[in-house]
Amino acid sequence: MLKFIPIKAQAGLVGFESPATEYTEQGLDLDTLLIDKPSATYIGLAQGDSMTGCGIFDGDLLIVSRAEPIIDMAVVVALLNGVFVCKRIDKVNRCLLSDAEGRTPYRLTEGDEFSIEGVVTRSIRLHKKLSHQLKK
Amino acid sequence: MMYALCDATSMYASCEKVFDPYLRRKPVIVLSNNDGCIVAACPIAKRLGFKKFVPYFQVQKAAEVAGIIVKSSNYELYADMSSRMMDTIARFADDVYIYSIDECFARFDNTISESDWYELGLEIRKTVWREVKLPVGVGFGPTATLAKAANHASKKLPGATGSFVLCSDKQKQRILKQMAVSDVWGIGSRLEKKLSVMGISNAYEFSQQPAKRMGKHFSILVENIVRELNGEVRIEWDGVRPAKKEIYSTRSFGARITEIEQLKCALSSHAEVVGKKLRQQQSTAKGIIVFAHSSPHDSAPMYRKSIYHSFAVPTADTRNFINAVTNALTVIYRSNVRFYKCGVGLVDISDSRYTQDDLFTPSNDNTELMKALDGINDRFGRQTMYFAARGIEEKFKMRRDFLSDCFTTRWKDIPKIDCT
Repeated sequence: MLKFIPIKAQAGLVGFESPATEYTEQGLDLDTLLIDKPSATYIGLAQGDSMTGCGIFDGDLLIVSRAEPIIDMAVVVALLNGVFVCKRIDKVNRCLLSDAEGRTPYRLTEGDEFSIEGVVTRSIRLHKKLSHQLKK
Repeated sequence: MMYALCDATSMYASCEKVFDPYLRRKPVIVLSNNDGCIVAACPIAKRLGFKKFVPYFQVQKAAEVAGIIVKSSNYELYADMSSRMMDTIARFADDVYIYSIDECFARFDNTISESDWYELGLEIRKTVWREVKLPVGVGFGPTATLAKAANHASKKLPGATGSFVLCSDKQKQRILKQMAVSDVWGIGSRLEKKLSVMGISNAYEFSQQPAKRMGKHFSILVENIVRELNGEVRIEWDGVRPAKKEIYSTRSFGARITEIEQLKCALSSHAEVVGKKLRQQQSTAKGIIVFAHSSPHDSAPMYRKSIYHSFAVPTADTRNFINAVTNALTVIYRSNVRFYKCGVGLVDISDSRYTQDDLFTPSNDNTELMKALDGINDRFGRQTMYFAARGIEEKFKMRRDFLSDCFTTRWKDIPKIDCT
């Protein structure tokens, strides 16, 4: 994913080596925790409020895996007529379902350009604004 | 043992389609640095008659009319997609050798039936498409050269499925007979001409030549290719490419330049690039070529000047290259010329480990300084530290008017997903 250079923290003390020395470069890396297959994973930005029922809000980060099997009712990112959308997939009725009050299912038809672009495996809520600007 | 060559179909154009859903079913072409030439065309654009290596300005009007989507090369995106593709292919093989940004050789140490290899090829193709969204072709053969030929067959022959196995003699004969000699890996058009004089008109006839005789006539490389076409493994990759005999860095300017300072900055930055590459392959150079010219498409008569400078002792120190560039500049620069392109080349290159010192002219190379410079830039990113000669503000930035986002490498560019 995004690469950075691990730099060891140093206390400026010399004398004897800390017994924890060999662990210093490990740290906690969110990529290892949240991303199972980096080569098949990408990160997207959710825009809109149609998926709040399953905990995805406007401005959340979505971790999307193309390697994950697509099971019925999974939350997926799909390409629908030239746009990436995030919906639940109802495989039985060939529908895309929103997950919020008062939304109607979208029934897929022959004429739709449609493909599944991965399963949403995790979502991240940014409770405080980032210093990065994500939206343009 | 089996080899496979996997490559992506119209890599750059395909990469553009992965994260820009609008482009999936549109004809897309990708332009070279400075938006000069077409370097990739997706299959839809190809069907509309747009081909690689054609200058963009020649087809610009036609592209607009045909509704072609034009993109500048986005190497940051392609490099990331390439490593995803290679990682995915590597899962299937015992060893992988990345040959270029869009192709790799894979080696398999096991033995399975011909139809199982074919199925494996389809499986690799399916997996890379599913997980990375890049279309790849896979060709299998008992040698790397045959794998390359099989890859050719996996895409070019009627009824091609993207997977092809070139094992049996019958298959080999059938496929190689349909291939031009220059379609064989390692055979250029010049060699093809010479071979055609000898009455060799296709890859099969070439493979039937006595290898020894080919070696005597041409080179050991040609002999090895003949042997490889007959299933004898001669080309082994060991992860190391032979060191380059000459190193060039050249580029055309986004807009024409007329100031001497601008030309100096551009040439100095090329000097830096070649210096770094030279040290990377542990070589020194005895000669440097510095050149600049105007565009043949401008109305003013074409101006071209090239300077060759020979160093007293072989060097790998960027400071020497920049000095040479600065001296050459006084000869190259003309105040009324609108420069279109410039570059620096290092020639007469030898392995720095075997360089002989000159008794009377000691080398002024500061190896430690160069090591520190390269080390810093390797660790903290290209161009963290550079020579002031190159200028602080780059006025000759590449022209990339149709650049896509870096969807997978920059936070501000991550794909937007509609949840409305």
